Amino acid sequence: MARTVMRFTGVGGQGVLLAGEIFAEAKIKSGGFGQKTATYTSQVRGGPTVVDIILDDEEIFYPYANDGEIDFMLSVAQVSFNLFKNGVTPGGTIVVEPNLVHPTEEDRKKWNIIEIPIITIAKEEVGNVITQSVVALAIANTIMKAIDRQVLIDTMLSKVPEKVHELNLKAFDLGEKYAKEAMAK
Amino acid sequence: MATREVIASGNELAAKAAADSGCKFFGGYPITPSSEIMHEMSNLMPEHGGVCIQMEDEIGGVAAAIGASMSGVRSMTATSGPGISLKAENLGLAQMVEAPLVVVNVMRGGPSTGLPTRVSQGDVRQAKNPSHGDYRSITLCAGNLAECYTETVRAFNLADRFMQPVFVLLDETIGHMYGKAVIPTAEATKAGIKPRKEFTGDPSEYEPYGVAYDEPAVLNPMFKGYRYHFTGLHHNSTGFPTEEIETCRKLIQRLEDKVMMHTDELELNEEFMCDDLEANDVLIIAYGSVSLAAKEAIKHLRKEGIKAGLFRPITLWPSPAKRIKELTDKVKNVLCVELNIRQYTEEVERVSCRLDIEGLYKVNGRAISPYEIVAKVKEVF
Repeated sequence: MARTVMRFTGVGGQGVLLAGEIFAEAKIKSGGFGQKTATYTSQVRGGPTVVDIILDDEEIFYPYANDGEIDFMLSVAQVSFNLFKNGVTPGGTIVVEPNLVHPTEEDRKKWNIIEIPIITIAKEEVGNVITQSVVALAIANTIMKAIDRQVLIDTMLSKVPEKVHELNLKAFDLGEKYAKEAMAK
Repeated sequence: MATREVIASGNELAAKAAADSGCKFFGGYPITPSSEIMHEMSNLMPEHGGVCIQMEDEIGGVAAAIGASMSGVRSMTATSGPGISLKAENLGLAQMVEAPLVVVNVMRGGPSTGLPTRVSQGDVRQAKNPSHGDYRSITLCAGNLAECYTETVRAFNLADRFMQPVFVLLDETIGHMYGKAVIPTAEATKAGIKPRKEFTGDPSEYEPYGVAYDEPAVLNPMFKGYRYHFTGLHHNSTGFPTEEIETCRKLIQRLEDKVMMHTDELELNEEFMCDDLEANDVLIIAYGSVSLAAKEAIKHLRKEGIKAGLFRPITLWPSPAKRIKELTDKVKNVLCVELNIRQYTEEVERVSCRLDIEGLYKVNGRAISPYEIVAKVKEVF
């Protein structure tokens, strides 16, 4: 596998960090190299947050995504979308939460923009907004096919408390379902 | 050495290293971007029969850690640049009384409150002389995840060998990045512990500071019948204050010589693709997280036919003067890359006796990317 570079963006407190850790760890468990870095502001909540995820079969030195080399971005906040979209390679995929992010027509020409109501799915269909990072994880992996599905699920379950395993499995399945539907469009 | 593969952040690895090195006390006050070290120590210390205490502030944190060290246990504190500024006075005390201590500084943007969540290497000069007076800093700098572990382990052994604080510099990138690291097993680390010297003779003959001109004090653990005195004043062989001319001179000269006569025990560097460098090639000097970008830059440059290599000091202070001189004598094009303005470049200029060292510096809290290094090399050479 060549290098996969993904960027999850949101605002502080949304829990996008965990998805990055799960991706990195799952890739390492599959025998490769995975690296997660996060950049955030000193605001406790509300500041733009970026999680860069690099997956490779070869050793990764520089741990951040280079602008122009990002294959996939997921954004659940307008401020973060505006700040970081230009790092995505032209023709790359950007998944946005349509209730919170409104791409321009120009954006839609430049990138493959997919709208999935990630937060609504987590809040209303899964029943807990905190599962949005697992919904996002499933969406990203379904589109990017970065990691073996079962390895990713096992890694995810190892990093959340046992009492919420079922809830997170539901979140993963829903993320996968919505991603497949969006890709079929 | 037996190794293990772990998946962790740099901060977590520094804490793990402390526990495996036999650290029994952590005193501190949480500060971004180092807080995870204290968080992890609050889990690990009770499990390892130690104590982790959150003090009322940074000054209390280092004071408690120095007190624990005086009592005889391995002790640590962790902070970021603003914390070092507050701890400076007590760090001077630790140098003067010769209390071994590991101080991890996860660097963020400064001066003052600066950029709390952003990366920087702005404390390199501060680490050399955080407090007033003459003494020699020992400062190690981790350049990847594994070294957050191995350099912390090394810091504990060096602190006990040289009986003084030892700095471990991480930066926000290294401290927070999360991935795979291959590190020694806990057993291997334990087997490598070199505890501080102890005087075993008659207590009436014990002179903790009555040692050879290039040797550190021998401070026995407390509560074992050996009595001595701690003071920040100039002191005699038993630790009591004195202004006797020769005693004062010898004490401060010894603080200098105990380190500078033994730099061979401290020096540690990495040379990445330096073997084939010739006079007209490019030598990049970088340390900490910046060296990761430099390594990728070197790969790009070599693909384009520009032969470049990286010299990375792991022990920053005392600097690897002789090796820097050898390499900068050999290679004409030298570029220092730092997340500060010339803090280590000035040391490279000093030891190389050259004033034509090029530099790439960034002080806005953002990392230097491999492509910026590639562009700089093409621009200046």
